[in-house]
Amino acid sequence: MPSIDISDVTKRYGTDTALEGLDLTVERGETYGFLGPNGAGKSTTINLVLDFIRPTSGEVRVFDLDAQANALEIRKRTGILPEGVEPYDRLTGRQHVAFAIESKEADDDPDDLIERVGLSADAADKKAGGYSKGMTQRLMLATALVGEPDLLILDEPSTGLDPNGARRMREIIREENDRGATVFFSSHVLGQVEAVCDRVGILRDGHLIAEDTIEGLRDTMPDQTRLRVTLDRVPEDSTAALEAVESIDGVASVTPEGRTLVVACEDRAKTTVLHTIEEYGVTVEDFATDESSLEDLFVAYTSDATPAEVAQ
Amino acid sequence: MSAIVVAKKDFRDAVRSRVLLALTGLFALFTVGGAFLASRLSALFEEGGAESTLDLILALQTPAGFLVPIIALFVGYGAIAGERESGSLQSLLGLPHRRRDVVLGKVLGRTGVVAVSILVGFTVGLLGLVAFVGSVSLVDYIAFTLVTVLFGFVYVCLGVGLSAMTQSTTRAAVGAVGLVVVLWFAWSVLAQALLFVIEGTVIPETIPGWYIVMNSVTPDAAYGSAIAAVLGAGQFTASSAYEAQGLLDGSVPIVAEPWFGFVLLALWALVPLALGLWRFDRVDL
Repeated sequence: MPSIDISDVTKRYGTDTALEGLDLTVERGETYGFLGPNGAGKSTTINLVLDFIRPTSGEVRVFDLDAQANALEIRKRTGILPEGVEPYDRLTGRQHVAFAIESKEADDDPDDLIERVGLSADAADKKAGGYSKGMTQRLMLATALVGEPDLLILDEPSTGLDPNGARRMREIIREENDRGATVFFSSHVLGQVEAVCDRVGILRDGHLIAEDTIEGLRDTMPDQTRLRVTLDRVPEDSTAALEAVESIDGVASVTPEGRTLVVACEDRAKTTVLHTIEEYGVTVEDFATDESSLEDLFVAYTSDATPAEVAQ
Repeated sequence: MSAIVVAKKDFRDAVRSRVLLALTGLFALFTVGGAFLASRLSALFEEGGAESTLDLILALQTPAGFLVPIIALFVGYGAIAGERESGSLQSLLGLPHRRRDVVLGKVLGRTGVVAVSILVGFTVGLLGLVAFVGSVSLVDYIAFTLVTVLFGFVYVCLGVGLSAMTQSTTRAAVGAVGLVVVLWFAWSVLAQALLFVIEGTVIPETIPGWYIVMNSVTPDAAYGSAIAAVLGAGQFTASSAYEAQGLLDGSVPIVAEPWFGFVLLALWALVPLALGLWRFDRVDL
């Protein structure tokens, strides 16, 4: 039984289409990273799951229950960290957590949760109106953890957190997942997702354009390498040399930068490239390679290039 | 009860508002001022005893009828729209609360806030009365206070209802101000205009029943009727002035009867609340 099952969901606001025919399944017990640039439809998707908004067409199911008809039952078993929420200015941090505990009829100790998210007991006694963005985010995480939810939904959880806070957040996500909770979290930064997620979905313009494990995503990348070759001098017949390198099987592009050649090629072409250059009477002084990262893939996916172009 | 949990949280949050404190202070000032003026006036006319408590309450009804709606609308208009604007509605509804529990909880919590404000104002007013007049019928005064809390509840329902129907606090505020303008000014102007159109004059020899009805249906008139019903004293209803002068065309319409004030107050509370609930339950947040 999947924790979240979204099938063929379209959401329109007037003539604007926020989501179109979205299919997305989050399996029970997995940590799912929901990636995409701002405005791709991530928050819309989360709001549909929580019944804050209703789909124009299609079906949203959570714990195999209808998201609209069983919203209350679903929320009893779900912890939510919404994006960019302001706290109640005149209530203290502890009162916020206590309210969540009372609402969920849970028996957590507010102080335990406050300590767990790294909010000081001192700060918890102060009115939340004076909290920094990072403190607010920790507080909201504490309320999301109330009642050991079966499903944690975190919308851009690292917003406003310093590196320590972001690390704490990742630790808590892992701990919750180890406990058995399904974690669904959105981000526009791949780095945060890469470290903790079992599976990743990339959303763009209301479509899920890729969905795989991190490893799987890496495998869809051809083993492109960028080779930087520094020569002792520019070859006399530089045009012919460039053409020769370009014509090697597996080379995608060649860009001269003074005495240095930048060659984008597949791994297997590397030695051929070096041999070919040396045939033009120059010596290779130095060479370096950098492998393209998953980040490049994400940027390519979410920028203007279509996935097909990226894959080539 | 989910609504009670929301109400408790909401009361704690809203009761700490500084503007509310200022409004409550202003209200207390008005009740004490009203008590002082009333005691001076009744001293002039040299009447005492039970009648004077009614006069004094009549004097306090004016500031209450004016300030309680303002306090209640101020406390109510942002209840839902404000949380929607700040996004905190998402964490509130992320907890296991139905949307209707949130609206009902808000009405309860904010009515509590308004009740505190009224109790503070009227306690100060009572102290003023004791100081200036000496003897006050406590039973009448408590009855008056309770009806005023009901009156506050009606305006909280109007405010929260508006708040649940609108996307932003700006719109809710415009709605609240519009409501005040319509109920306090436009409605009576309309009644006058109709009177002129139908009767050919604004001062007819006998007042037609429909005019009495129009002047009795606003929440403020209903508040007066309800006070009249509780105190058993006719001078609080909208029709009392005409009745006393024998200007009534026929008998008092049922809508203008004191007890009907409670029916009207109930309608003014429940209709906007129902509309707000209906709308809020369906809308995309």
